[in-house]
Amino acid sequence: MTVYAKPLSPDIVSQTGNTMVLSMGPQHPSTHGVLQIMLEIEGENVVKAEPEIGYLHTGIEKTAEGLFWTQAQTVIERMDYLAPSSNALCYALGVEKLLGITDRIPERAQIIRVLSMELTRIASHCVWLGTHGIDLGALSIFFYTFDLRENILDLQESSGGARMHPNYLRVGGLNGDLPEGYLVNLDALIEKFPGRMRELRGLLQANPIFQDRTIDLGVLTPQEAISWGVTGPSLRASGIAYDVRRAFPYTGYENYDFDVPTRDEGDAYARFLVRLDEMEESMRIVEQARRRLETPGPVMIDDPKVALPPKETIALSMEALIHHFKLVSEGFRVPPGDVYQAIESPRGELGYYIVSNGENRPYRIRTRPPSLYNLQALKGIAPGNLIADLVVMIGSLDPVFGEVDR
Amino acid sequence: MPSTQTPPIAGVAIDPPSLRPSIDDAFIERVEPGQLRARLEALKNDGYTMLLDLGAVDYLQRKPRFDLVYHLLKLAARKATVAEVGTPARLRLLCGVDEGERVPTVMDLWVSADWAEREVYDLFGIVFDGHADLRRIQMPHDWEGHPLRKDYPMRGPARERAPRPSFANKTNVVAGTPPSGRTLEALQEEIKRARES
Repeated sequence: MTVYAKPLSPDIVSQTGNTMVLSMGPQHPSTHGVLQIMLEIEGENVVKAEPEIGYLHTGIEKTAEGLFWTQAQTVIERMDYLAPSSNALCYALGVEKLLGITDRIPERAQIIRVLSMELTRIASHCVWLGTHGIDLGALSIFFYTFDLRENILDLQESSGGARMHPNYLRVGGLNGDLPEGYLVNLDALIEKFPGRMRELRGLLQANPIFQDRTIDLGVLTPQEAISWGVTGPSLRASGIAYDVRRAFPYTGYENYDFDVPTRDEGDAYARFLVRLDEMEESMRIVEQARRRLETPGPVMIDDPKVALPPKETIALSMEALIHHFKLVSEGFRVPPGDVYQAIESPRGELGYYIVSNGENRPYRIRTRPPSLYNLQALKGIAPGNLIADLVVMIGSLDPVFGEVDR
Repeated sequence: MPSTQTPPIAGVAIDPPSLRPSIDDAFIERVEPGQLRARLEALKNDGYTMLLDLGAVDYLQRKPRFDLVYHLLKLAARKATVAEVGTPARLRLLCGVDEGERVPTVMDLWVSADWAEREVYDLFGIVFDGHADLRRIQMPHDWEGHPLRKDYPMRGPARERAPRPSFANKTNVVAGTPPSGRTLEALQEEIKRARES
């Protein structure tokens, strides 16, 4: 039997009693891309808010089903486009679990993975902070954060070859070792960071206008946050110190010393403070990872069934040539089974439920997008607030629409 | 170094979750659609306060055809430090659902199920009874079909091509006839004759 979907609610104005229906977005500059919110308003007050998503739906999950396991990573990285490495790592860890090679990932690859993850977290929070400031009319902070982000993107470009989607973290390890000069640039960033952080805090943290607009706004109690499925900094701003890096350590996070910043208030200002603290904690992890990078070593698993053989062996060894040909032309096979792998992405718990039926292509990759569930909480916190404050709430939840819509 | 990878298997697994290697990622349970609602209620009362995700998988050749996958997390809904949170239990509830079968909603237990159920409905066509606002979420509201089903074509439904300028419709190549003039049938005939002789 067929159930027909209801059409969208009328998108301009429909009078029902004293309230009015207004469509905000999907081209509104403060909706972070392509979010449409159907608002029922009474004067300036929001009575009901229903986000309408799907404007950026590109069918990444379906596309991945038609690609080899390695190729699928290319499209998967494009989900959360502000933190591409976190998607890549989560997917790689899940596939490694299915392959049964989790214990054989080289030490140096794991350190560089942690390093990339934390750098990408800082870069992602930089975009959030800059755009959050712009939403509130604080324009200057955007330039400070994007300058810092540019340094990180330069590092990404030198290691992976691309600024935005480096595709550097692979199943089995990394695409290659860090290039010459990387550590020099990394040291320069580590040196620059504390001063830049002081400037960022100085611009907004004690700013009375910023505080006026964010304190006591969009409060999520622990119960609400849990029932909406909110994770990440937004959950920790409500007082629950759930961090996947601590609760379910992966790729060696148990060996790093870092704190999980939390706040008790649960409002937009608390979410702002938690993310700022998180940037500093991330830099602490980066410094520790930097110290461990002195010893050289392999960065890809020594398994010709998964990793491409070194280029110089191809001309000398028949097996290497065959492995190279098979991996490029038909990819590797993954034993049948299913696995759920979660990591702490800049937005919260990012999970992949991966199903393999034994072929050289993934059978199904279901994403648990943190942004989707965080954004859904807007339905709970928006009613009773002004339209102008809605913009602050969206910004404080930090949705990325590549991930919400996939 | 020898590979741990299993050799390529003959054919394709129809029900991969039943063949899974031992991976310690969650407690796994499987229920019938009839018991789904009662089991989820019991789990909620047991402390699984967070519905992390609800997804679906289409096992085309299997009976029942679909799997609904509920990911639950046992996280107390109160303020807690890292030590108090510890390692919360994860639980994965699988539920086989056949085509056209309806399942009860859990929106009243976890509000986060709202969009998740809408997405499963949109992309797989599984109907949730009692959902307050079950309409498409990712695809346009007038879309036909459910794209994540395995029998849905990868490139979407066949459509008429957009009109092209007339000079683009050149017909100097006749489909089916190679430049040599030898057709496929003639070629196959030739090969057959060569094999026989």
